[in-house]
Amino acid sequence: MGEIDTQLSQKPVHIRPTGVDTLLRPLHRWVWSDAHRRAYKLLRFAETEADGGRDIARAAELTSDALLRRLYLRHATDELRHADMFRGRGRAMLAALPRQAAGTEANWLAPGERGLDDLQVDHEHDDTLLAFLHLSERAAAMRFAVYREVLGGDPETRAVFETILRDEAFHMNYTRKQLERVSPRRHGVRLWAARLHRLWKVYLRFAAAFASVMGGFILAVQYFVVLPLFAFAAKRQARREARGWVDARSRAHTFTGQYG
Amino acid sequence: MKILGLSAHYHDSAAALLVDGLPVACVQEERLSRHKNDASFPVAAIEHCLDTAGIQPEQLDAVVFYEKPMLKFERILTMALRGWPRTFSSFPQAMKNTLGEKLWVKGLIKSWLGVPASKILFSEHHRSHAAAAFLTAPTKEAAILTADGVGEWATLSLGRGKRAAQKTELELLREIRFPHSLGMLYSTFTAFLGFQVNEGEYKVMGLASYGTPRFAGDVRKVIQRTDDGAFQLDMRFFEYHTTAKRSYGQAFLDLFGAPRAPWEPLDLGTEDGKRFADVAASVQHVLEEILVDMCRRLHDETGLPDLCLGGGVALNGVCNARILRESGFERVFVPPSPGDAGCALGAALLADRVHFGQPDRDFPDHPYWGPELDTPELARVAREDGLTVTEVGSDAELFERLARELHEGKIVGWMDGRTEFGPRALGSRSILSAPHTAEQRDRLNKSIKFREEFRPFAPAVPTEHAQRYFDIPDAGLRLARFMSGVFPVRPEHRDNLAAVTHIDGTSRLQTVERELSPRFHALIEAYGRVSGVPVVLNTSFNLAGEPIVNRAVEGYSTFRRCGIDLLVAGRTVVTKERAAERASDDATREAAE
Repeated sequence: MGEIDTQLSQKPVHIRPTGVDTLLRPLHRWVWSDAHRRAYKLLRFAETEADGGRDIARAAELTSDALLRRLYLRHATDELRHADMFRGRGRAMLAALPRQAAGTEANWLAPGERGLDDLQVDHEHDDTLLAFLHLSERAAAMRFAVYREVLGGDPETRAVFETILRDEAFHMNYTRKQLERVSPRRHGVRLWAARLHRLWKVYLRFAAAFASVMGGFILAVQYFVVLPLFAFAAKRQARREARGWVDARSRAHTFTGQYG
Repeated sequence: MKILGLSAHYHDSAAALLVDGLPVACVQEERLSRHKNDASFPVAAIEHCLDTAGIQPEQLDAVVFYEKPMLKFERILTMALRGWPRTFSSFPQAMKNTLGEKLWVKGLIKSWLGVPASKILFSEHHRSHAAAAFLTAPTKEAAILTADGVGEWATLSLGRGKRAAQKTELELLREIRFPHSLGMLYSTFTAFLGFQVNEGEYKVMGLASYGTPRFAGDVRKVIQRTDDGAFQLDMRFFEYHTTAKRSYGQAFLDLFGAPRAPWEPLDLGTEDGKRFADVAASVQHVLEEILVDMCRRLHDETGLPDLCLGGGVALNGVCNARILRESGFERVFVPPSPGDAGCALGAALLADRVHFGQPDRDFPDHPYWGPELDTPELARVAREDGLTVTEVGSDAELFERLARELHEGKIVGWMDGRTEFGPRALGSRSILSAPHTAEQRDRLNKSIKFREEFRPFAPAVPTEHAQRYFDIPDAGLRLARFMSGVFPVRPEHRDNLAAVTHIDGTSRLQTVERELSPRFHALIEAYGRVSGVPVVLNTSFNLAGEPIVNRAVEGYSTFRRCGIDLLVAGRTVVTKERAAERASDDATREAAE
């Protein structure tokens, strides 16, 4: 894992990427090398940040801890500002580029903040939420650190990440510190539980993706094996349908049936 | 009888509870879950309705779902078959999407509420729309038109309804079926113009005023009238019936040019910007043309003076006003929630009056059926955060103060009473501002609503003053009660109402009745005494991407995250006192670090 400077200042933030990301730096460099892909990724990051901001604003509305509420509101405002920054930069880049549809964004490799986590704010206690947020912010900060490193050729986008990293460091630190405050004896347990929960979520995502692929395959087979005959009948029926109005009075209507 | 109506699984899920024929509570799930356009099974909304009535699920006489899931599945499957093999890519997704909980609604209701299957009923989608429009309107007999994207099969229905003391009749006469759909046509253009479908249709209507309908002829190629007065879409231009990826096809692009990307700023000074505005104007023009003609024919056929409009298309206020003006109907009624959320109420009303044959009841003519405001919560959180909280002694004093602040250019977050049922803020959860200058509008757009500059803001005006400032017929006053019509601002007042006057000189006003919203009405009157113009700008109390606030603390959270100057709940006023806020922020930072 990388090391994190906990000082808040206007100086560049010294957050180092994880070892895995350091090893994958050439791949990250490739992902961010294409200007179109870069721009679309920034736009997607903007959405992710805005969503994250809404989640954290919700957390502010739900907590009974006044200090946490203030911090969450500030955090939510930061996320909104990050969304604006990403969106502004993405739009500026696209405006300067020839028109081209979004290609492969390699989101699995560069997911952005909380890109792999879905937060159920309404069901979390302060301590479990803080643990989740801390890990999430920490992961995002390290990820943004590697993006910043590979964006040497694009100083403006790099500057966006630099600015956002400063806030991320604050978010990371306050969530840790507040976790220790609200759960002085069990904050370590909460962090481990959050880590395990993230792993479980990763498993669930893979399992859901696998099930989706399998389900899609089975349905596709049925589509080509079972459906053609029915499709022929349906097309034939469609050709017979009259144009315009259909009489609705002749159709029986009951409240008990789900079909008619 | 206690009847619970539900809508879910497409967009805007909601619950509505009727007790002895009258609503006790109606609320959209999004207001409680805080997820915009929440389509999930409305557990929180159901809980709220039952809590409000103080009853348990087993005391319900019936639970009515707003549409027929199996019939809808039939349509999805049939369209997949008709489009074979082009539906190859969308078929697995459509099946996975539908074969989940969407198809097993009866089991879902049973498991959540524990009611026996015999108590679970199903209405038809467009019947629910029709009931929501007709059975909530102050009329005894009316023609009915409902139009939306699609229900089970129907996309547009015509009918008539009659209310008598002991018997209610609601008959759908004829319908147009999927894939031919005015709602889908409008949504396709919404997507083409780079806006989010089921969300950005308002933007198309707003953008239309900036353009000229020079593509109307092309739109008429895409949607053609049939000999019997209906219409059909030329499906060569569309793909929504075969794929979920894109709603328009290449032929559509050949006709209207390249689509706008969602991220692309809409610059009306550029050629592309003008083209997009013209396309919006054209589809709006053709939509109005078709609906006005259909309503005219319906009027001729029924000979009735009243028309009830339902379905998502009835949110198009420009079209509604034109129908009122040109169709021959004397009065046009649109419920505060004509979309799918309103179907929860419609389905419950229909079951009560038609299935159970309960006697007719006059429906309270207001939209305030949501959760009540929890005012003390606001004072508590604001004080904890060190903000200035004032408990004003009387309503009169409060309104005088707010009127002065509004006149000085302050922006007020206003929360009062129960929330509105439906997509519009009608004085319960609103952001208010002076309506006079374009600068104020721009400030709202940039620092609060964070939205496109071409989108207009709406005014709220006491009904008795509306015709002085707006060119609105008598029948329009009722249409404007729920912001369902767009009417011209009188030319002599346009300069002084610049923040709420759209580019074409119109406004989607809300007329405020003293009896229905006494405090909101009194506030606007107070503003009139201070400014000389009893009109305020009224926009929904939310930020982009969020639902309208419900609880006081949600209003507070919104207040803290944007440029609203004052927050009001009941007689509690919170201001962003600078010194206090800085002190609080310093303390926050100190504590955090």
